[in-house]
Amino acid sequence: MNANAMQTMVRRLVVAVAAVALLAESVRAVEPVDFAHDVLPILQQHCAKCHTNGRYEGELSLDTREAVLEAGIAEPGAADESSILERVTADDAAIRMPLEAPPLSADEVDVLRRWIDAGMAWEGGFSFRKNTYEPPLKPRRPELPPSTTGVANPIDLIVLAYWQEHGIEPPPPLSDAAFHRRVSLDLVGLLPSVAEVEAFQADTAADKRARLVRRLLDDRVAFADHWLTFWNDLLRNDYAGTGYISGGRKQITSWLYRALVDNKPYDRFVRDLVDPQRESAGFAKGFVWRGQVNASQRPELQFAQNVGQVFLGVNLKCASCHDSFIDNWKLTDSYGLAAIYSREPLEIHRCDVPTGKIAQAYFLFSELGSVDPQAPRDERLATLAELMTSSDNGRLTRTIVNRLWDRLLGRGIVFPVDALASRPWSEDLLDYLAVDVSDNGYDLKKTLELITTSKVYGSQSVAWDPAAPVEEFVFAGPAPKRMTAEQFVDAVWQMTGVCPQETAQDEVFGEMLCYATKGAAGRPFVRSSLVESTLLMRSLGRPNREQVVTTRPAEMTTLEAIEMSNGQPLSELLQQSASKLHVDHPDWSAEAMCEYVFHSALARPPAQDELARLVKLAGTPLTTDGLADVLWCVVMLPEFQLVR
Amino acid sequence: MTDMESSDLNRRDFLRAMSAATLAAMATGAPRMSRASEALVHPAPRADACILLWMAGGMASPDTFDPKRYVPFEKGLPVERVMSTFPAIDTVVDNIKFTAGLEELAKVMDRGTLVRSHVQPDLGHILHTRHQYHWHTGYVPPQTVAAPHLGAWMAKVLGPRNPVMPAFVDVGQRLEGHDEKEEVKAFHTSGFFGGEYGPFMLPFPQDAADAVRPPKGMSPERFEARNRQYRELVLRGPLGEHGSGYQQESMIRGMENAYRLLKSPERAAFDLALEPRKSYDEYNASQFGLGCLLARRLVEAGSRFVEVTTEYVPFEGWDTHEEGHTRAVKMKQSIDRPIARLIVDLEQRGLLDRTLVIVASEFSRDMMIEGIPGSAAKDQSRAVSDTLQEMRHYGLHRHFTGGSSVLLFGGGVKRGMLYGATADERPCVAIENPVSVIDLHATILTAMGISPKTAFEIEKRPFYVTEDGKGQSVDALFA
Repeated sequence: MNANAMQTMVRRLVVAVAAVALLAESVRAVEPVDFAHDVLPILQQHCAKCHTNGRYEGELSLDTREAVLEAGIAEPGAADESSILERVTADDAAIRMPLEAPPLSADEVDVLRRWIDAGMAWEGGFSFRKNTYEPPLKPRRPELPPSTTGVANPIDLIVLAYWQEHGIEPPPPLSDAAFHRRVSLDLVGLLPSVAEVEAFQADTAADKRARLVRRLLDDRVAFADHWLTFWNDLLRNDYAGTGYISGGRKQITSWLYRALVDNKPYDRFVRDLVDPQRESAGFAKGFVWRGQVNASQRPELQFAQNVGQVFLGVNLKCASCHDSFIDNWKLTDSYGLAAIYSREPLEIHRCDVPTGKIAQAYFLFSELGSVDPQAPRDERLATLAELMTSSDNGRLTRTIVNRLWDRLLGRGIVFPVDALASRPWSEDLLDYLAVDVSDNGYDLKKTLELITTSKVYGSQSVAWDPAAPVEEFVFAGPAPKRMTAEQFVDAVWQMTGVCPQETAQDEVFGEMLCYATKGAAGRPFVRSSLVESTLLMRSLGRPNREQVVTTRPAEMTTLEAIEMSNGQPLSELLQQSASKLHVDHPDWSAEAMCEYVFHSALARPPAQDELARLVKLAGTPLTTDGLADVLWCVVMLPEFQLVR
Repeated sequence: MTDMESSDLNRRDFLRAMSAATLAAMATGAPRMSRASEALVHPAPRADACILLWMAGGMASPDTFDPKRYVPFEKGLPVERVMSTFPAIDTVVDNIKFTAGLEELAKVMDRGTLVRSHVQPDLGHILHTRHQYHWHTGYVPPQTVAAPHLGAWMAKVLGPRNPVMPAFVDVGQRLEGHDEKEEVKAFHTSGFFGGEYGPFMLPFPQDAADAVRPPKGMSPERFEARNRQYRELVLRGPLGEHGSGYQQESMIRGMENAYRLLKSPERAAFDLALEPRKSYDEYNASQFGLGCLLARRLVEAGSRFVEVTTEYVPFEGWDTHEEGHTRAVKMKQSIDRPIARLIVDLEQRGLLDRTLVIVASEFSRDMMIEGIPGSAAKDQSRAVSDTLQEMRHYGLHRHFTGGSSVLLFGGGVKRGMLYGATADERPCVAIENPVSVIDLHATILTAMGISPKTAFEIEKRPFYVTEDGKGQSVDALFA
């Protein structure tokens, strides 16, 4: 074998060995620099103390990329022309940065050089300048503005004062019919019937709205059927989906449904999920994926992320991989919470690389108390549940009342609903509602009642501009909300009587129905929240519940619109619905039928012009096809699909 | 009442209901491009459209594009001696050989590049859908936010080439009716981008026209009449009375876009019945062949990204658990002509230069006897044997992530080029220029004019098109 051949062979062997070792990752000469993972730690360690977040030695701010460019110390694409590199590599200790501190290592300098050469990418929106708002943790009992004539609801007192302060004209009250439609969809997810609306309009009692609210909240089955959707999204519970077949995931349906029927106090509800019993264990268990997963997605960290997000409005997703650079959560915080849940010692991984350190179990908010890391797991979980639901934990109550406000008024007091560290548009309102929950024994129906009986809730809706900066938002009234997929489908089923005969799990839901109604007549029809997702529901935004979902898309997409315009699922449903209506009411004229459909759907009778258009479609005499088209036109109206 | 018969309202009238401010705010709720990304310089695009031909289930490269030592079936043959179950054949490119059964593709190899060194991480043994999720999104599941499909990235960043056409179309995959449907749905999605950028699913290419015509049983006249009254009801209803709102405007816009597509001349692109008989013969009339033909029509009409799949259904298609050799014969028959024809067809229509065509699979396979015929998957490891007894065990079964083949045509990639190599003996890992999923994505994105560092902000943090923005384009593949 000559030297050349030998060399070639050796080279191939080396490459082969390298390839075997690195099947997952390709071999690269130079790793590109990543701001978050590579650059930020250097800036934080060496520069941040003197040049960021309000302290700007030598009038130099490194808070943002713009600030760095303005200072002229770095030239993106040209590290050699960037004075920052000269300063950190200077031989003269009197000018070398950082002053009076050890210089940067050669590797660190190299990272900075490559970072600047590659264009000095910065994390979108990242600033060293700390968010100046410090959210309170403990509950706070705000002083209510003085009561004025005719205003007793604390929400109204607070919001009226807020409106006065901001020069906002209160929106006019909603008509009785529109109120009935809104509150019924909001509390039990159903349209009121024409007869119900008419009776409500005819009622002259002063407290008729409050009585309607109470009646809806007292309908245990309809209430549970409706709020099941909200909680299934939040707790990522479903009847079918990834993981259920292989046992990597567990339902909590029977526990959840019973908790809703019983209106289980929220503190106990959370305790059951954090320190679970057998029936409620599916949430804490998370998703056990087959095969290898990234360390930040092992079930213990999912537990930390989900408990943080759902109950506390804390985002630990960043801090599951590395110290977060969007807030103050640290990698150890996420692991601390995960370690409470973990059965075994949990090794901390930074960006999927083991660090050799074992996580110490502790709770995010040490002000509330501590978890003994040496205690057995059962005890640690019990302590965690205690701390989470302690009356000092205002974060728990603020998070849930904000979610409820968001559902009912179309936008959270804190927005987005998962970022509870952001400034609410009214601290008094948020804090009042939160304190009210614990005062009322964590009865969430009471909160719903308080909100829906306020004049604020009962006023006409006002659109808001989601593109405007969050800090500049001023609350001007309830915002329109898009119907959920479940509300849409239920409304069609309800109007026409076409609906499935079985739920996803008749044993669970059947047993619960008997329990809730003590054997009396149950639900008028099988609700869509109780069945597996269908193509139609998926296209209307019912999520695949692999991740926690706290808000659904508010906008209709083109693909959805195509599906609604010509997709089999909707057109078949409407065709069946038309047939059934036709058969059920053989003697109704086209006018009567169109009037019924329109009035049921929108809680208002059609105007003459509207009725004429529908009748034209319905045909004279009425045909099934024509009626299907009428149904389509009505359910596709924005007026139908919005709750406002 | 004046104009109940005539619809004098045109699109502009209809959309006028939306204020300019909220039109601009359409992309709300939706994530915004991260600030760092806005400053990014995107590479000059080499291609305007992309067709991904997906070999679902794990296509064995030694039985397709990377021939190894061929050993014919023989009773009692030691398993370890079998490297390929097909003899090698020549292609029009001197240094590139395929295996028998790919004669048509062999004739067009001079139009593209063959990468033999594509490698994947090992995500576990029986996890097709996890690997498919990884390949299609660039992220290994689970993720804390839903990752967008590669096609959704193109739809989001580049948009459709023709505003009437859906930007991202997926042909040939059913999302219902099999055991792993939920797992398959999980990556056929626009993820956190929101549904506007999701796949327009056409599970049956021969029925594609139905997706863009009025519902079954509805005459065009009835469809038109329904739409006319609908528009009037929207416009004359209490629009804006209680504050119009961005949700309402998205509904009006969505409905209008849908109507526009359903009435457009472009919708003819979905109708394979308009294709001459000759095309059917040339593409062959398999489901996949029709999918390739449809992809050509859609790209012509202005789609941005079209995926055509041989379809993933557990234990079917390329997911061979027994009958590996005979299945491979059939699968090759079903892809050979359609792909070759698609390349030539695009070339003859002057589209190949600006269309990137990719043929890929979630991983390759190697020889191993697996499976008592008819047994459940979990029992299969018990059936391991060292020698071949039955023909049905002859073929490549075992999942192999150490080296697989990818074909790239058009879109600025080199012609007649071979890149990377795998070892000739076991394990047949990539021994030259391994290309990971993330780098392959970076290459595809670069060809399309999207920087691999592009990121969108979701939950206040950046989410990159290639994980952490670290994908590196394999520029050696470009001419």
